[in-house]
Amino acid sequence: MDPLAKDVAIMLVPIVTIILGFIIGWLGQRSGFCSIGGIRDFFLFRQTRLLKGYVGLILSAFVFYLIFSLIVPSAFPNFFWLIENPGGILAAIPGAPGGLSVAATIICMLVGGIFVGIIGTLLGGCPLRQLVMTSEGNIKSGFFVIGMLVGALVFSGFILGWVVDLFALIGI
Amino acid sequence: MTSTPAKKGIDTILKKPIAAGIIIGFAAALVQALLFPAGGPVAYGFCVACHSRDFIDVIWNNIFGTSLFAAPISLAGALPVLTIVGVLIGAVVAALVYREFRLKKATALGCVKYTLGGFFFMVCALLMGACPYRIALRIGYGDLIALFGLVAIVIGVLIGVKIALKKMEA
Repeated sequence: MDPLAKDVAIMLVPIVTIILGFIIGWLGQRSGFCSIGGIRDFFLFRQTRLLKGYVGLILSAFVFYLIFSLIVPSAFPNFFWLIENPGGILAAIPGAPGGLSVAATIICMLVGGIFVGIIGTLLGGCPLRQLVMTSEGNIKSGFFVIGMLVGALVFSGFILGWVVDLFALIGI
Repeated sequence: MTSTPAKKGIDTILKKPIAAGIIIGFAAALVQALLFPAGGPVAYGFCVACHSRDFIDVIWNNIFGTSLFAAPISLAGALPVLTIVGVLIGAVVAALVYREFRLKKATALGCVKYTLGGFFFMVCALLMGACPYRIALRIGYGDLIALFGLVAIVIGVLIGVKIALKKMEA
């Protein structure tokens, strides 16, 4: 099947994403879905209730990417990465930020990921959980979301450039 | 409020995180099938960090005439991805429908702590190029680099759990 025409797709972006968000917000509120919470509960209490959700997300994403890539192949470039990815198995799929090298991307992943894990664990949840808790009336989580938005602006305005410069300087 | 058995039955299923995970995976793939022609990147159906970044950066760009980074899909049209707005509305509606909305007051210190936490969380998540959700989608898409991100998050959570346990002992 052919994908949507470009101008139709552009018009649909805000509508489709707000509906998607509504569904995910509803599900998140009902189930307490939380990625970092799932890993935390497993380590702390050997509970797998939330972890199953996160593992389910990874598996379901793979299965449905596979199914939809068969229906609308042109909307899923570089899927079947083992065969199609021109940069080799370790090359990032298109869309990784900053146009960094593979080594630099892995360093960013490791440094960023560790702190994401620590902060998420200490403050009681991943960003989706914080959004949902905000909606449930938790004021502290509301400030977390405000902090996130400010962080995004500062990252795009300053830090992204610094990171790219830094890796260029040390030649990775 | 009396709810019908059918409504309760569906809610019992939706209360399971695994059901939520499977539906989110399906929705993310469907969204890519629909919206990829508007602009990439791939495996971008749902991400709290990136979609918040796109949302706030595009608003900022429109007001102040800057050109902060946002994903092509958010720069293509007049409006960026609105997933975050949807999540907030959806969760508020669900909380109201099931009467789980409770205003939880916070101390000033707690608010400062959470603001700073959110700030650094976002910076680190954008450094990764993904929040835990996009990591999951990228792994589903076959991006092996995302596996490093997942391993790093697991290590981070282990450290976080150690710190939390130390705090409880003290």
